Amino acid sequence: MEIALITLSAALAVGLPALATGWAQSRIGAAAAASLAEKPELTTTAIIMLAIPETMAILGFVVAVLIILRGGA
Amino acid sequence: MIVKMSKVRILGPRDRLGEVLGVLQDTGVLHLSPPRPTLPLRSIELTAAQQRLHRNLRRVLADLDAVGTALPPTVPPRDAPAPATSELARWARLVGRVRRMTDRLAGRVAALEEERALLLKYRQLFASLAPLLPQQNTHQHGRVYHLVLRPGQEAGVQLLRQELATFLGEAFELHERRLPDGEIAVLLLVPATAAERTERLLAAGRVHDVPLPGPYRGKPLAEAIPDMAARLRGIPRELAQIQQERERLARAHGEELARARAVMYDHLARLEALPFSATSRRAFVLEGWLPTARRQRLTHELAARVGDTVVVEEVGREEWKGDDAPVILSNPRLFRPFELIVRQLPLPRYGSLDPTPFVAVFFPMFFGLMLGDIGYGAVLAGLGLLLHRRSRPGSVLRTVAEIAGPCAAFTIIFGALYGELFGDLGHHWLGLRPLLFNREEAIVPFLGLAVALGLVHVLLGLGLGVANALRGRHPRAALGRGLTALMILLILAALLASIDVLPAALFTPSVIALLVVFPILIFAEGIVAPIELLATIGNVLSYARIMALGVASVMLAVVANRMAGALGSAVVGAVFALLFHLVNFALGLFSPTIHALRLHYVEFFGRFYSPGGLEYHPLARWTPPPRPTS
Repeated sequence: MEIALITLSAALAVGLPALATGWAQSRIGAAAAASLAEKPELTTTAIIMLAIPETMAILGFVVAVLIILRGGA
Repeated sequence: MIVKMSKVRILGPRDRLGEVLGVLQDTGVLHLSPPRPTLPLRSIELTAAQQRLHRNLRRVLADLDAVGTALPPTVPPRDAPAPATSELARWARLVGRVRRMTDRLAGRVAALEEERALLLKYRQLFASLAPLLPQQNTHQHGRVYHLVLRPGQEAGVQLLRQELATFLGEAFELHERRLPDGEIAVLLLVPATAAERTERLLAAGRVHDVPLPGPYRGKPLAEAIPDMAARLRGIPRELAQIQQERERLARAHGEELARARAVMYDHLARLEALPFSATSRRAFVLEGWLPTARRQRLTHELAARVGDTVVVEEVGREEWKGDDAPVILSNPRLFRPFELIVRQLPLPRYGSLDPTPFVAVFFPMFFGLMLGDIGYGAVLAGLGLLLHRRSRPGSVLRTVAEIAGPCAAFTIIFGALYGELFGDLGHHWLGLRPLLFNREEAIVPFLGLAVALGLVHVLLGLGLGVANALRGRHPRAALGRGLTALMILLILAALLASIDVLPAALFTPSVIALLVVFPILIFAEGIVAPIELLATIGNVLSYARIMALGVASVMLAVVANRMAGALGSAVVGAVFALLFHLVNFALGLFSPTIHALRLHYVEFFGRFYSPGGLEYHPLARWTPPPRPTS
């Protein structure tokens, strides 16, 4: 039971930020695609903007790893 | 580093302004700046005739640019003298004539390419109907339909046959043939009187007739197919003739047009430089920037070619602001490719720091830390070498190849430290052992390493921020950045002391120092200081992505290796493993690049980079733009 809870916690820790990242990237990606059609010189800015929300998923992954390692699952 | 610039003022008799502009253009070092409104002189405005000439030059150059890309390249002669007005008019007529010819040739090429694409598209369909042609010939007075049904619509053919039989009896013919891609080609022949009803039936069934391409429409298929094949064979000959025509045009006019293009661009540049000069009734003044190291050369050149009536004097540093000076980045050969990464953002302001050397060290290091595999590093090195050989010197591709080299080197170095060769393959086959730690298991040490590197990188950024602020004479900003760095160090010391990594005796002094420094930070940076401090701590933690991407990379490689043994057949397993490694390698190129860039642009540059520098555009002779690599 404990292992199941630890695993669920880890899954939530990485899953929820990943969903949030996906949602944020969908909005940024659509706006970036529209901007790039008019100003291709914004490509680098667009890529950086797109990579910014990934921090949430990455930190979620780090937390998930720590939950599993500390929890001993 | 950013090249040291000097601002110079050139004074001389007004009637020698044109000559001076010519010398400046030949020397190609002076970036002209608009005349200061405080000078008791008038700015030059183009006369009506000069404006007309400017418009005409622009128009003719637009035609010349179009002709230049349409014809084989010709190198313009370098000793092009200034053109006479009559010559400009003759060139304008010649350019117009050649432009019309190249446009006509381009139109023919486009039409031929389109025709070839259409014929190739329909060739398969009509070739499959060829065996049914004798039946078509029996219906000389009927209508012929060429239909294509999607795979799985076999029942549709049967249905069509039944429907046609109900109102035509036996007065129709329907032949079907399966195409290699699963579609069904159908040849339908009906009496002309039944055409309308047949078409309604086809429309209701959403089956559309595929008409013969334009020139063959109305011909019997038996005649059209050989004609189409002959046409397909003839198109390359016509394209070759057009290419010969272009080469003939280039031989006849290429050199003269290349000379005209260079001369007109140079003339246009001198015309556009005129408003940068301020004049009195007898004298002119020009101001501009040039690299300090080139100042003597410009002075000597002007003295030699115009004489001592023209004077070059240096404008004192106190008379101009750094923001107005153009920026030239100049770095050692090894670091130079990384200017490409810095140039993706607006240039740094003159007087601030050029981050290129730091990017050249940290970018490949972060990349290698994330990918970290001897095998992937070797493949990347091979790809970089290939790209280097295939690219033109100075092109973006060549620069990318030069960046790939250090990235591959760091990938191999960290691969050796992690003991990875295509994941754990090196361990199983060659007994490779990690020199530092195994990324599969030592996740927490890897996280510690990533965050520690982040700390070093962000602290370095803050240190550069202090230097930048001091150079820009902003002592308060320098104090703020220095205190932010100090607070981060104190927070780290307190944390490490609390978990017994540092002596516990350090905890209380660290906390007391934090309480002392914090109000000073708010005084220096304002009320946003706490938010900035939290953002900076967040930036340090953001380097955890190095660990996250690194672990993901090694895990995918390990999964790829496990596939080889898990799929029963060794060959199938090996193929799947290879494909998976390929996908992992592609991800391993893309993700570390994006995240290493982000760590630089957001976390590192955010601490010190001051964008807004002006690009250095000296008045110079025109050089033809490089042609795209084929």
